[in-house]
Amino acid sequence: MAKDATSGATSLVSRPMVIEGEISGDENLHVDGRVKGIIRLTGDLFVGVGGVVEAEIDARNVIIQGTVTGKVLARRQLEVQPSGRFNGECTAASYEIREGAVFEGVSRMITSAQPDNLTPAPSAQKSNNQP
Amino acid sequence: MGLFAKDKTSAAPETGERGGGETSFFGAKLMVKGKVSGGGNLIVMGKLEGEFDLNGELVVAASALVNGEAKTVSVTVSGGFSGSLTAKQRIQLEKGAVVSGRLQAPNLSVADGAVLNGEIEMKQPSEGKPAAGDPARKQKK
Repeated sequence: MAKDATSGATSLVSRPMVIEGEISGDENLHVDGRVKGIIRLTGDLFVGVGGVVEAEIDARNVIIQGTVTGKVLARRQLEVQPSGRFNGECTAASYEIREGAVFEGVSRMITSAQPDNLTPAPSAQKSNNQP
Repeated sequence: MGLFAKDKTSAAPETGERGGGETSFFGAKLMVKGKVSGGGNLIVMGKLEGEFDLNGELVVAASALVNGEAKTVSVTVSGGFSGSLTAKQRIQLEKGAVVSGRLQAPNLSVADGAVLNGEIEMKQPSEGKPAAGDPARKQKK
């Protein structure tokens, strides 16, 4: 499983919390609540059971136990665990989709020929009222 | 406590608290912009910008910088806050806090060494007890 402890800490969006907007930084993020908007991390994104993420995502590893909808760039790996649901478009260097998981949408692989610094999707897809 | 199922599946190394569950934590290297709402407590160590409507306690740690409009049950600030802060119960400014803007709460405490510039409104809860001798207004630099 593509997981190595990042240098950084892990931030947590707990179950009752809802975030609409943009989350970015050099950390891992664990989402048990709801996030809508944009997530850009140099660390890993972990969506726990019950977590719902509707976002444009750029992270190192993306591990899904809950529900993720949107456009995902997983620079290392996208992992959808048996309780997980992914719906959207994903670009990743590798995939791990467990039996029971749902993956609906488009998948693209990052090949070794591609530079590591893929540009994240050019614009926010919707729904955030940035100043 | 302690009986909550803690899933031990991969990732998220130190989320030991998640069983107890309802405290969110934004680390020092995380920046959040937008609207944050819902229940539970929130500890902020990084940057936070936007609108917050929390049904719990907000803790703005010393390293944090929060900018925007916050409505919570109670707030403890040790870092930077600018904007409007409304708490149903209490606002507590610790040493090192740098706060500017508008504060509204029935209880306010300001520690020596906190910087507070702005407007304060203290509304007592209608049937509530008096605000335990908290200073009504303070201006420090």
